[in-house]
Order: sequence, then C-alpha cells, then structure tokens
Amino acid sequence: MDSVFCYRDSDAAAAQGGPLQGLRIAIQPNLSVAGWPTEAGSHALANYTALEDATAVQRLRAAGACLCGSTRMSEFGFGLQGSQAGQAIARQAADAELVLDLMGESRLAAANTAVCGFKPSYGLVSRSGLIGLIPSMECCGLLSESMPAVRKILQAVAGPDELDFSLPEEAPPDLSPQAIDPRTTTIGVLSEAMRGLPGEQQEEFRASVHALQQAGFRTREVSLPDFPLCSLVHNVVGSVEASSCAGRYDSVRYGPRPPGAKNWNEMYLLARGAAFGPLLKSYLFQGAFFQFEKYEAYENACRIRARLLADVQQLTAQTDFLMLPAVAGAAVGAAASLADAYAHFTCTLFANVTGQPALYLPPASGARQAGFQLAGPRLCDGRLLALGEHLLNLRRGGK
Amino acid sequence: MDFEAVIGLEIHVELNCATKMFCDCPNRPGDAPNVNTCPTCLWFPGAMPRLSQEALEKAALLCLGLGAELQPRSAFDQKVYYYPDLPKGYQLSQAHLPLSRGGGLEIADEDGQTTRLRIHHIHMEEDVAKLIHEMDGRVPISLVDFNRAGAPLVEIVTEPDFRTPYQAMEFLKALRTQVRSVGSSECSLENGTMRVDANISVRPRGTTQLNTKVEVKNMNSIRHVGDAIACEISRQSAAVQAGEAVMLHTRLWDPEKKTTVPMRAKFEGPCVPDPSVPVIELSPGWIEKMRSRLPEMPAARAERLTALHGLSGEEALFLSSDPEVAGYFESLLAEGIAPRTAMHWLTTQLLPAVKERRLELSRSPVTPARLAVLLNMLSRDEINAGAARKVLGHLFDSDEAPEAIVAARGYRQVSDPTALDALIDKVLDAQPAAVAEVRSGQSKAVGFLIGQVMQASGGQANPKMIRELLTRKLETS
Repeated sequence: MDSVFCYRDSDAAAAQGGPLQGLRIAIQPNLSVAGWPTEAGSHALANYTALEDATAVQRLRAAGACLCGSTRMSEFGFGLQGSQAGQAIARQAADAELVLDLMGESRLAAANTAVCGFKPSYGLVSRSGLIGLIPSMECCGLLSESMPAVRKILQAVAGPDELDFSLPEEAPPDLSPQAIDPRTTTIGVLSEAMRGLPGEQQEEFRASVHALQQAGFRTREVSLPDFPLCSLVHNVVGSVEASSCAGRYDSVRYGPRPPGAKNWNEMYLLARGAAFGPLLKSYLFQGAFFQFEKYEAYENACRIRARLLADVQQLTAQTDFLMLPAVAGAAVGAAASLADAYAHFTCTLFANVTGQPALYLPPASGARQAGFQLAGPRLCDGRLLALGEHLLNLRRGGK
Repeated sequence: MDFEAVIGLEIHVELNCATKMFCDCPNRPGDAPNVNTCPTCLWFPGAMPRLSQEALEKAALLCLGLGAELQPRSAFDQKVYYYPDLPKGYQLSQAHLPLSRGGGLEIADEDGQTTRLRIHHIHMEEDVAKLIHEMDGRVPISLVDFNRAGAPLVEIVTEPDFRTPYQAMEFLKALRTQVRSVGSSECSLENGTMRVDANISVRPRGTTQLNTKVEVKNMNSIRHVGDAIACEISRQSAAVQAGEAVMLHTRLWDPEKKTTVPMRAKFEGPCVPDPSVPVIELSPGWIEKMRSRLPEMPAARAERLTALHGLSGEEALFLSSDPEVAGYFESLLAEGIAPRTAMHWLTTQLLPAVKERRLELSRSPVTPARLAVLLNMLSRDEINAGAARKVLGHLFDSDEAPEAIVAARGYRQVSDPTALDALIDKVLDAQPAAVAEVRSGQSKAVGFLIGQVMQASGGQANPKMIRELLTRKLETS
C-alpha cells in the first residue's frame, strides 16, 4: 500500500455526464463507502467495512465524480498526526479531497500543501455516513487547487438530507457563481488573531491585507476580545462530546478484542485501552473528566460558546467577511500533546466553535505574503466562495 | 417508632408505534432475534438517528392523557453508561429538557378519600438491546437481541407523593386506564410494555425530611409492585429501628422468595446534549391539534354513560376503565340493545366467557353486531335466556349467524299454547303433591312446576307463557 492512500478504488470508472464529470476526488476512510475499509484512522475500527454509502458519497457519484480512494488520516480525524490530507492533490493523484474538519484540519492541510481549503457552514453538508468525533463541530472540508472545483463539489453535496435531521430546514444558500464588487465589500481583519503572530509572519499577513486593499477592497480592523476563549471552549466541549461519542468503540462488534478478559467489564477496559492512540486517549480522558468530575466546566464552556456566537454575529453584521491568519507559529507537524495540537489550530478552530464557513487561500506564488483565512456568516457559503474565486482570478490577471 | 414511607415511581412505557424511535425498523420486539435491525438501531458508526413523528405524537398524547403540560422546547441527550445491552455507550434520552412537565392522577384511597398523585415530568427515550443469558454446554454465553434496541419509550417520573403500596397500585391501574384510552400503549407489566421502578425511603411519621432512598426493580405485575414496596418498607423500617444506615442502591424484587435483594449499581454520568437530534419545538397550534385528537377520557365517559343511559356510578366507572369494554357497550347500544340488557350480558356473560377462553375482547369472534342479533332475538321472545347463553357459547366456536345456530340446534323458544298446554297437563298429572301445595296457598310450588315444564320442553319453552298458562289452569280446574 502506498504512503498516501490507504485504499484505492481500481474500478473507479470515469462517470458519464454530471457537473463533476472527470473530477477525481479522494476521501478519507471516515466517510462511508459501501464495501470500502472504513477504519477512520483508528485501531478501534480495524477491519471495519462500511455497509452503506454516506450521503455525500452518493451525491458526489450522482454528480459524475470519480472517487479514487481514501487517504491516510489521523485517528478519527483529530489533528494532523499521521494524516496525508492534501498529498493526493500534491502528487496529482486527485483533483480534490474531502478532509474532516474538527478544528481546522482541512484548512491547515491546505496550508501545508498550498492549495485552497474550505470548511462549509455547520449544517450545510449531511453528516449521514460520516464517522465523526465531535458532532456539534465537525464538517467535511474540501481541498483543491481550483476554487470553481470547490464550489461545484459543495453544490453537489450541500443541502437537506432525509437521513440527517440535524440539517437546518431553511433552503441552502445560493452556491452558483456570483460577482463580487470590491468597492462595496468590507473585510474585517480580526486584530486578536493577528496580534498573536510572530514578527515575520505578522509582516507577511499585513502584506496580504495590503494586497486586498490594492485590489480595491475596504478593510478595517475589528475586535473580538473573547477570541482566545475559542480554544478553551473547543477543548472542553469537543473533548466531552468525543468522550461520549467514542463510547461505542467497545470491541463488541468491530475492532480487535484483546484476549484474557474475565468478564465484559474487563473486556471493555482491555479493548479500549488497546484501541486508541495516546493523543486521542488523552483527549477522551479529558472529556470523561469534564463530564463526570467537572460538569460545571462543560456547562460554562457551552455558555461561553453561545456568547461567542452572538459576538461573531455582531461582527459579521458590521463587515461582509472576516480575515485572519491560518497558521500561528511553526508549521504543523506531529503534535505530541493535546496542548501542541490545540496550539497549531489556534487560528482555525473558531469556525468550528461558531459553525461559520471558513476558507483558506494559499499565498500568491513569488509574493512575500502569507496564506490566510476568510470567514463569512453562517450559511453564506456562496458569497465566501465567490470572494475566493474573485481573489484567485485577480492573481491570474483576471478582473 | 412509627414509620411513614415516601415513595416515588419511575414508569417506563413502551409506545405501540409501528416503527422504532429513530429509524424505520418495525417495532416488534417478539420477532426472531435481530431481524428488525438497520445500521441506525445497531448503532453503527456514521448512522444518524431520525426521530419518528409517530413516536412524538404517541408520546405527546400520553402526556396529555396524564394531564401533563407539553413543553415548547425539548431535546435529546446522550446518557452515557457502559453495558453490553447498549453497545454505543450512550442512550438517547431527554435528560435536561423533557417532553412534558407536571400532570398527575386522582385515585380513591383505601379509606375512600380522593388523593391526587403528581407527576414530575415525562420524557422520551430509546430502549436498549435485550440480553439473553444461556449455557453453551458448560460455558455461560450472553446473546444480544437488537430487535428491542431503539424501541420508543417514555419514562414517567412521579413526585414522591405516595405513602402506601396501595396508592402505588391504584396509581398504576389509573395510569394504565388513561394510557390505554389515548391508545399509546397497552401498559402491561406482564408482557413488558410497562416497567416500574419504585424509589422508597422511610421516616418517622410526622417528620418531613426526605431520607436516603432505595430503588426497587423487577416487578412483573401491579400486585408485585405493591408486595415489593411493602417488603422494602418493612426492611428499611427494621434497619432504621436497629440503628443501621440506609444506603443509596438498587434492589431486585424476587417474586418467588417475596423479598428484595441488592444488585450492583449502574455507572451513570451526567448527560451531554446530542446535536445530531434536532431540538423539538412544539407550537401551540400543534399541541392543540394533539389535544383535539384525545379520545373521551374515562372519567368523562363514565359521567356521560351515567347521564345518558342511567347506569350507576360504579357500573359506569367499571365500563369506562377499559376503553375496549366501553366501546363494546356503546356498540351494543348502537345496535338497539337496551342499556340494562347490554350491561347485564356484557358483565355476567360475555366478559367471563372471553376471559375463560384467554381471548382479548377486541379479537373475540363475538363481535358487538353478532351479540346484538342474539340479544334482539331474546327480547323478541324467539329464544329464552338459557338458550341465549348456549348460543353465545357456540358463537365463539362457529362463524355461523346466531339465527342459523338457533335454527340448526333447535333453540327456538316454544311459544305455541297448544304444545305448551300438552306439556303442562303431563306435568300436572305427574306432580299431584305439588299441585295440592299450590292449591293450599303455597305459591313456592309454582316455581317448581314451571321448572318441571321447562325441563320437559328441553329448556325451550317460553317461561313467561308457562307461568301464565299454568296459573290459569290451577285457578280454573
């Protein structure tokens, strides 16, 4: 097996017709495809094969896409340790990838490989068939060098699903191409996120802001004083949800069952002890601690989350889009501890907390600018993608 | 020391929905193991729960039937516990925001006083899988049947208003009547569609504190609930009397030994809201729609039956306590049967016969229409009461029309005066002693003579006519 893919579909036929015809899409093994190994990067699901296609998979196929295989992923998609997200595109083995975004994984994987990375609004894409970890925050992110490809894929997979009742009832946003007029578009630069950057990165980021101004956009600094709390809220709420959801990995029906247990309780302890890697295990421990020993911390985190949501709504009412860096500090490598993992995603996890759409745009080649994130109000994904398309088009000399 | 018990009940009721609570699998727990399953109710990774509209409606009707107030917002949580009957590690239950709050039922207490017992709240939850423990040779094995996994349940949590086992039993009977009336469940402890846990503590009579409670489970009939509570009250009273502390734990009722035994405590933590199940928002309009679908409730029905058909309060309450019986009664009336006749035949003949044959009234071959034909023949004097009772027996075993049975088996009443005259003459000849008694003024003997004529007719003579003819003959001759 190769170092990028953990499963390749040799039978993947070029589909006839449809808006995604000819597009090769790699997924991760946490998105169910009937008959494909679906281990979600964890021993807990070793040898597990999905029974049915996920809704997103059905829709991609119906739109003519070619699902070429699944790439190696971190355990349950948490962080980027062991993940090969973005590599299928980098090696030209795929035109786009679906990558689970729990705290910014799809956007940072895009940053690592200098392609576009988009996390849709929470509730825009069905989670039916997605083996997740943090149900209130997770979403399938999209990676591609081409913004139109990202938009077309989202168009194909977005919208109500009779298998996922948690999707909002309102009609999905208009995802067709639309024009952006820079003179009437205000972009708010989030000062709390910018100030956290080391000196050189801050200069590069300011250069990116300057480039937007050059392109005719109105920019202004906006403030979200509680921005640093996003990380805390994500950490507490995310770990509690993960701990509760991962209860199903008990080795009763899938995953390896270590021998030697004298009763069911021992069987659980042995199996769960062997199932999870150290990073995920510490996350689940932490979640169990908050749930059973410090429930009030979880309740407080939920309250702060509601407040953050209201604050962000106020900000997005004053501006059309938010702009902020994607990477703070060193490039993302293996995260040895939970603290490391969270440190890497400081600039991205806000969108998972608030459920709003966020787009990573890579730097223009040759310029001393940083790649950056743009975020829009929840369920305004069409406008955000249009902005991304507009900016990439400008770089290519378009108008 | 004189002790008083403080008792609260937690009652699980399995809703009689066609499907499970979060998927389209049939809700038939009795089928062959694991046939009614899908990725959702097997709780496979990636499958999403989808709340059934029918479960929500039946749960809402149940709440309204118990006088509870449906909440505009309710939501499901993940109730975490690890046990092999729940392989996903959490049960979807409404821990923080229940479907309804308040409500209660009135019962007649042992001294005849009306007592209101309050309900704290009612919430929905999914059932867990069923564990079956067997021996494979000498090796014990445990099997998991997922037919019950995800079945729709409501849990009714009462206030600790109960003081006696009697109150608990009466409450359960009243609850069963109400829930059957709204049609949400059969509510049978015997077949597992109702499960009752009792929380019991004791305190010196006259004090108001709530002491450490003990939960008692595993009662399979209303009587067992009463017995288990009574047993637990005396156990705790004795313990407190002896200066022992009551510990918070769960005990199982052992119906054979008539005692409670401690069981291992279940590990349970606080619940986490599940974002995969949308918050349930009930509009006032929807709640009103549900209310309009409530059938006539037993108390109202009893009142109406008394007012309309002249039944006694006791009779009306008896009929109304079971919606099927009440429905049967009213169907008979609709077929033109007099209320007293309907009441009499239903309670003294039909219901005992149905019970004797281990049938349910709704599935009995003696439909109201068939019984009405029979009773109409009786009122037209075409058959007598004894024959009617016999024909009723045949109706259970035969699809034939009552008229056909009467004709074929010769049950038609003999009302022909000439034929009766001959029979009477024969009896009078054979019973000179009785005739002499009647003539000397002992009217008791008339009954004896009527009985003799009836016997001679093979039970088919019209008793009214025998009396008339006989009396005339004895007076004139």
